[in-house]
Amino acid sequence: MTALTRRQRRALTLAMRYLIAVAVTLLFLFPVYWLFMISFKTPEEIFHVPPLWLPGQIQFNNYWVLFKDGDVVAILNSLIVAGTSSVIAMVLGTFCAYSLARFNTGGENLAMWIISQRMIPPMAVVFPIFLIYVHFGMVDTFSGLILLYTAFNLPYVIWMMRGYIADIPLELEESALVDGCTRWQVIWKVVFPMARSGLMATAVFTFVFAWNDFLFALILTRTEVITFPVQLTHYMGGQSNFWAKIAAMSVLGTLPIFVAVTIMQRYLVRGISLGAVKG
Amino acid sequence: MSTDTYGHRLSVFSDRNFKYLMVAPGILILLLVGIFPLIYSLVVSFQNITMTDVDTSFQGLLNYKQLFRDARLWQALGHTALITAIALPLELVLGFLLAQLFLERMPGRQIFVALLVLPTVLSPIVAGATWRLMFDVRFGPIGQIVSYFAGEPVTLLWTVNPSLVYPAIIICEVWQWTPFMFLLLLAALSNVDQSQLEAAELDGASYWRVLRQIIMPAIKPVVAIAVLIRGLDLFRIFDIIWALTEGGPGSMTETISLYTYVIGFTQFDTSYTAAVAFLVVALLSVIVTLVLRRMELVK
Amino acid sequence: MLGASLLALTPSMALAQAKNAAEVAVEAAKKFAGTEISIVWEAGLQSLDPLNYSGPKWEKLTGIKVKVVEVPTDQMFTKIMQDFRSGAGAYDALNVIPSWMPDLVKAGALEPLDAMVDQFGYRDELQDIAAAYRDNQMKVGDKIYGFPDDGDVMLLYYRKDIFEDPKMMEEFKAKHGYDLAPPKDWKQFSEIGQFITDKMAPKTYGAGFFRAAPYPQYMYQERFRMEGGKFFDAETMKSTVNSDVGVKVLQDMLADNKFMPPGVEQWNFVDNLANFLQGATAMTISWPPYGRWAAGYGSGEEALNWVPKTQVAGKVGYSINPLGRPELGVGFALSVSSASKNKEAAYLFIQWLNSKQTSLERVQLPYTLRDPFRTSHYESAEYRKLWPDAGAYLDTIKLSGEKGLLDLSMLQQDKYDEAMSKALSSLFAGTDPKAVADEMAAQFDAITEKVGADKQKEIYQAWAAKPGAYP
Repeated sequence: MTALTRRQRRALTLAMRYLIAVAVTLLFLFPVYWLFMISFKTPEEIFHVPPLWLPGQIQFNNYWVLFKDGDVVAILNSLIVAGTSSVIAMVLGTFCAYSLARFNTGGENLAMWIISQRMIPPMAVVFPIFLIYVHFGMVDTFSGLILLYTAFNLPYVIWMMRGYIADIPLELEESALVDGCTRWQVIWKVVFPMARSGLMATAVFTFVFAWNDFLFALILTRTEVITFPVQLTHYMGGQSNFWAKIAAMSVLGTLPIFVAVTIMQRYLVRGISLGAVKG
Repeated sequence: MSTDTYGHRLSVFSDRNFKYLMVAPGILILLLVGIFPLIYSLVVSFQNITMTDVDTSFQGLLNYKQLFRDARLWQALGHTALITAIALPLELVLGFLLAQLFLERMPGRQIFVALLVLPTVLSPIVAGATWRLMFDVRFGPIGQIVSYFAGEPVTLLWTVNPSLVYPAIIICEVWQWTPFMFLLLLAALSNVDQSQLEAAELDGASYWRVLRQIIMPAIKPVVAIAVLIRGLDLFRIFDIIWALTEGGPGSMTETISLYTYVIGFTQFDTSYTAAVAFLVVALLSVIVTLVLRRMELVK
Repeated sequence: MLGASLLALTPSMALAQAKNAAEVAVEAAKKFAGTEISIVWEAGLQSLDPLNYSGPKWEKLTGIKVKVVEVPTDQMFTKIMQDFRSGAGAYDALNVIPSWMPDLVKAGALEPLDAMVDQFGYRDELQDIAAAYRDNQMKVGDKIYGFPDDGDVMLLYYRKDIFEDPKMMEEFKAKHGYDLAPPKDWKQFSEIGQFITDKMAPKTYGAGFFRAAPYPQYMYQERFRMEGGKFFDAETMKSTVNSDVGVKVLQDMLADNKFMPPGVEQWNFVDNLANFLQGATAMTISWPPYGRWAAGYGSGEEALNWVPKTQVAGKVGYSINPLGRPELGVGFALSVSSASKNKEAAYLFIQWLNSKQTSLERVQLPYTLRDPFRTSHYESAEYRKLWPDAGAYLDTIKLSGEKGLLDLSMLQQDKYDEAMSKALSSLFAGTDPKAVADEMAAQFDAITEKVGADKQKEIYQAWAAKPGAYP
């Protein structure tokens, strides 16, 4: 038996990777597929025994109902709230992280205090926050939720970016400083590009956390700023389960993030960042 | 003349203020939303506010003493620890394997990655509800698939059978959050110094050596934080369990967040809930500090 | 005080004699035209009533805008209490579940309504509400805090076509010695259920129930009391749910699962409904909406398109539960928040909603979850024409209501409810019935101790003295 050439070995490895990748993806996506299918099914098909793997026909009625009834506004609300708070949290948080990573500002105490914010059970603080918001008339407002999500995502952003920034070799910044750049320029020109993959990964999940929050959205809103998760729970009653709406709404609510991730994961590729360094 | 941690001279004016300027806005927001609720909760935990009585007199350690007599509380903590201890390593390992799989270029990788992130992106409420339907004996495919492989109809009551409830929860949880680890590790792995890896390959080092001596140290900061964040989040797990079992059967799968929900939100034992919350914060602080110390030491 | 209210009565009494309560409310509310009131309502299907029908109609009649605050059921209590505790006062009118009323009233969250009831002459029409609800879901102490708005009661639904099939009847009589008919007690229920399963499974099983939390505890409350159980020893306030009767009831409930479809332990309200509508079960017990949906009433409604199309229309019979005293189970009442800034407008809205005239329209909405609760509903010729068996349906509801058993209602009732609910889910998961009963009793005792046995004793004895509390 002849030994495989290097090229053949690589082709084989690639083929195997593909095989595994496809299998894994199918496995992971099966529930999502199921959800998708429910969104196209009629109620008979949803409650069919044995379960149907494919709907009789692809019908968009369930989606149409959501648009007609105006439920889709919840998606818009979530986009505004999660989007704005994520941007703010990323900006403020990354700057904080830089300060912590490079200057060790506030030492361990500050870092610990920041992460401790994430240890607080939300149940315990939601009512006091509700009280403050009532006092300042911020209940059921966009700004109220945005402020809250920013605050709650900051610890995550700070800690994640601190790690990614710490990964960036100091020499890069030093050489830039030596070249006469100010700190600000160093950050813009060196740190941000180098930490791009970390930034993107963090940004995605910051957005997701804000998007999927249920507890605070429930307590702090009434009718004006109904977000996606709260709208979803309206479909789950003790005596009714609008499965079709749940599925259709979930698909709609997942699309924006899916789009965002597809755009961002360009940056999660090995090699892009290092090109600049070695030269 | 002051210097930063790495010995660089800080120009008297810009850098020193710079570093404070950078943290200021973030800290400010955290304080705004973080401080008052905590103080309020602390104060309340020393009072005796329940659903029907708003007794704001100082009650000393009344609620805190109750903590130790509350078996259900400690069971909830136990359940939470169990889930965390099983799910977290699973997510880490699976996420790492996935990241390795997709690290090298391959055509269409973008699509794979984007698709794999979908589970994490779903609202946990939806994830829980979807799995609940999938586990359903009559309307869900899982039973169908298992029966097919077993060759005969098998009735699996995932959300009721005591031996199956924890697997059900963990399956749903790992399914949903492995992509999180995957993405983070992918970002971290893609930043590992290429030149070191190439040198090692030329030297003929085995995969395990490369893993231990080059890759692990390089991704350690990110892994540490990912574990920390995910661990803390697992401690607060709620939606998935609520959708699957509501803490049942009985209180078998009741985690600390479910328990807090029940006493705080449906029974309005406001003061006691605050005490429980502080207990949880205290416990977590201790654990996190210990873990951080260890990681810092090795760092 | 009396003089003042008499003076207030006189002009509106004159009005009341000329108009019905709905019209009175509309007239009196016109002065609030242009304002907005909010009402908390269960999210989802329930909310369609105020969103699509009563809200817009009220606005047309009075000029008052109605803001419907949809809240998922399991969050309703929380949001109402939090709104009250924070002083936000954002809610004007409320939907409350009657068993919450003692706790809400004690906390001060509900507005006493007697003064306004008299001012707007509503006492008469209140009498028309079926006694079971009127006498038990309206007052706390001797003050009115809510208007019962939903005739929730458990009914037994069964497949007429199976029960009247000559062959089935013959074989059953031969086997068991009595006629095949809706079971009169739980022994008959088990025998009939087993018989049908033996003959017709897996196409159709004898019966199905919702066994998943939180509703089975209502069936338990009914069966436990009908078999002779008492929740507490009235003197010592020690719980007696783990008496021999208590354990037996749990054992029997568990044993019934045997002839039910596999997986029944997981069934919730909707699962049970889907199975019955598809013909998979020959008997089930549930609230009145099943009856309407099984008959196909409203099946063309878009709002109901999540309900599987019924395959048993025209084949469903209605009966009172075995042993003849069904649990009332949950229910809804309309109330006014004590923190509201628009109490009178809110009150007028709920009077109008609850009035004979409007409520009759509302219970006939195809998508409604509000069940008939007034004598005038039961006797309505209009309603009786809605589907062929509607008359029998109303008669059964009326009888069931008259014989209904009250949900247990004490201080911190939700804690007791939770204990029962958890006990039942343990039971169906396979825990030994005696252990389950003992655990339930222990939890009951712990709750009673925390509330204060003396305080609770007073409330319990008052509840137990009502005719609907114990058979």
